[in-house]
Amino acid sequence: MSMDINIDRKVSELDRHLVEFAQLLRTVGLKISPSEITDATEALSLIGLVDRDKVEAILQATLVKNVQHISAFKEAFRAYFASLEQKEAWQKDAAQKTNQWNEQIESTYQDLRFQDNELDISEEQRAIYASLPERDKQRLRDFLQRSSNGTRSGVPVDHSYQPMVERVLRGSLEYWRKKLNEDEPILYPGSTNGVLSEVERALRDREVEVIARDLKKISPEEWPEVNRLIRRLSQRLANQVTRRYRAARRRGGLDMRSTLRKNLRYGGVLVDRSYRSRRKGRLRIVLLCDISGSMLKYTEFIWQFVYGLSTVVSGIKTFAFGEELIPLIGKFRKGQTFEAMVKEALSVSGKEWGGGTNLANALETLQKKYPDTFTKQTLLLIVSDAQTLEGEKAAVLLSWVRRHVREVLWLNTLPERRWSETPFVNAFLPFCQMYECYTLGHLTQILNKQF
Amino acid sequence: MPNRRTLDQFENELEAIGYITERDDRIALTSFLATELGKPLLISGPAGVGKTEIAKVLSQVLGAPLIRLQCYEGLDETKALYEWNYQRQLLKIQMGSEHLQEADLFSTNYLLPRPLLQALLSEKRSVLLIDEIDKTDSEFEAFLFELLGEFQVTIPEMGTIKAKERPMVVLTSNGERELSDGLKRRCIFLYVEPPSVNKEVRILRAKVPDLPERLALEVARAVNVLRERLSLNKIPSVSETMDWAKALLVMGKTGLDPAWVDATLTLLLKSQDDVELFYREMGAERLLFESSKMAQGERHVYGHQHR
Repeated sequence: MSMDINIDRKVSELDRHLVEFAQLLRTVGLKISPSEITDATEALSLIGLVDRDKVEAILQATLVKNVQHISAFKEAFRAYFASLEQKEAWQKDAAQKTNQWNEQIESTYQDLRFQDNELDISEEQRAIYASLPERDKQRLRDFLQRSSNGTRSGVPVDHSYQPMVERVLRGSLEYWRKKLNEDEPILYPGSTNGVLSEVERALRDREVEVIARDLKKISPEEWPEVNRLIRRLSQRLANQVTRRYRAARRRGGLDMRSTLRKNLRYGGVLVDRSYRSRRKGRLRIVLLCDISGSMLKYTEFIWQFVYGLSTVVSGIKTFAFGEELIPLIGKFRKGQTFEAMVKEALSVSGKEWGGGTNLANALETLQKKYPDTFTKQTLLLIVSDAQTLEGEKAAVLLSWVRRHVREVLWLNTLPERRWSETPFVNAFLPFCQMYECYTLGHLTQILNKQF
Repeated sequence: MPNRRTLDQFENELEAIGYITERDDRIALTSFLATELGKPLLISGPAGVGKTEIAKVLSQVLGAPLIRLQCYEGLDETKALYEWNYQRQLLKIQMGSEHLQEADLFSTNYLLPRPLLQALLSEKRSVLLIDEIDKTDSEFEAFLFELLGEFQVTIPEMGTIKAKERPMVVLTSNGERELSDGLKRRCIFLYVEPPSVNKEVRILRAKVPDLPERLALEVARAVNVLRERLSLNKIPSVSETMDWAKALLVMGKTGLDPAWVDATLTLLLKSQDDVELFYREMGAERLLFESSKMAQGERHVYGHQHR
């Protein structure tokens, strides 16, 4: 009897660990259902818990169903099943970091004041302030101090000046955000849970892997690897494209005329039947790439993406645009690289890589000069950061385009959290499916979602 | 109830039929879990790493017939599950019988079972291989849910058919398309990577018995370098490595040299783009140099282990 109770206890302890572990995996992005946890439990009771490698293999086979999640799983497994001392050390570390962070943020409430009033600035902006060198912090504090005392000419100011001071401060902190971290967010200390914060740290370290890194930060030596990935992704897209977009899964209605004709030889008994099959429509990709100054950092990505796509999909129409539209149609020659092709096209049109952006102009030219580009089979793929002149006009044109093509996909190299700061993104959103796309991981996700 | 086999027994059985696994590849453990838990096994990985082979081997180990459904774009229920034998039904009607009932025409006599139904109707346990599931449409995948979860299918005219003996289901995918969460949830997952040099040597030696060890090693190392260093459109598969080794053996070679690599390269790289890439970025001499560097590395590690 007492043995039974022991077994029950053991099982429930194992279950508790498994559920906790699954919870940890969910936190780092894996989808795990209760039935998968049951599978893991059954598998563990079948093989046993003696061999750590086998336990890892079992949990991976039953809980991880996506190759891209394997690295996250491995980190989670390492951290969750670490020794107690190690876990305690992580817990201590996480608690310390959180305290430090809270203290820093707290101190900004003391530092950043206007006439003894708290300022209305976001937590991220406070964090930026906290991460500044002391000298620059002092300059901001001096500015607030001076502003509190009055204008330069000595006129005293009251609380109505506060919004203006806040705007100036926000602008300054925004400048520092760009300078310090480019587009990356200030890193919050993460979870107060030691194990989770360790997994998060390990996954951040793994961002050195090219798939998770911003494409503009990939060094030349790494491009062959990236190219291979892009090629593989483009191939996946191509496979979808050459596949019938709407496969004739179910046969259409009976084709009576053909059936009767076919069965005349059986005396009119309908032995063989003919069916109407659905019309097969293939997607036609039209690629519109932004090569303006703001996109310069992503040129290598665009080149490789376009090149990867065009080597696997035939009949793809490619256009580049800056201030004007630059068609890259029919210029492929055997052995010619895409780079050479673009440069040749640019020299023909007397344009240079990297200038202003005018999407409206590009769309208008497309509409006028290449009207056959827009059909119901067209997938318009725009690669751009949406920073364009004449945004309203471009949005109107985009809405027209949307009505005339099957789909408009917009790969935006700007992180989604910055979209609200870009004037026209909201105007474009109703007429396209826009995705942030500045890492290969994003590109993979988009293809998974869309195709 | 028959005795359940243990993992060790399962591994021994794999070895007995000449299937080579390594502990790191987890093929034996994961396949064992799928067979013992009665769950479908979803195998993913690049083309040519031996995913289909696993199903064949399982059929041998389990002594169960292999029923294969090769998936392709546009595959539908009539090709995968069943179809009514319309012509036969028509003949029956024309033969004219007073007592003919509609139910008579929709009986198993007029049913043409396709692979999925064959597996369910099989008196003996079978191995059902659903090959390249990623080539089908997502609708077909959803249609498989009932089969994979409950091991039963519903035929509107006949009702639900339950498996007499639950088949061992193996699904393979090249990752052309992301499979649905529902499908993945029902399966045990195995990711197969191209084999290590050591494993490939063992495979070569097992499948090409006359192959000298030195040639097997050099071939396996060279193929490994090709797979790892070049951004090939299609990496050489294990069977292509085998073909290459056999070709070199037929030519009476005992080791690799640049001229013969050039002469036989098309056995490994089957597209013009890949061949051009090879000559542009590597070439035969560099390939052999890199392979020998790898050999030195292996010796170094070996030396450390045995010091």
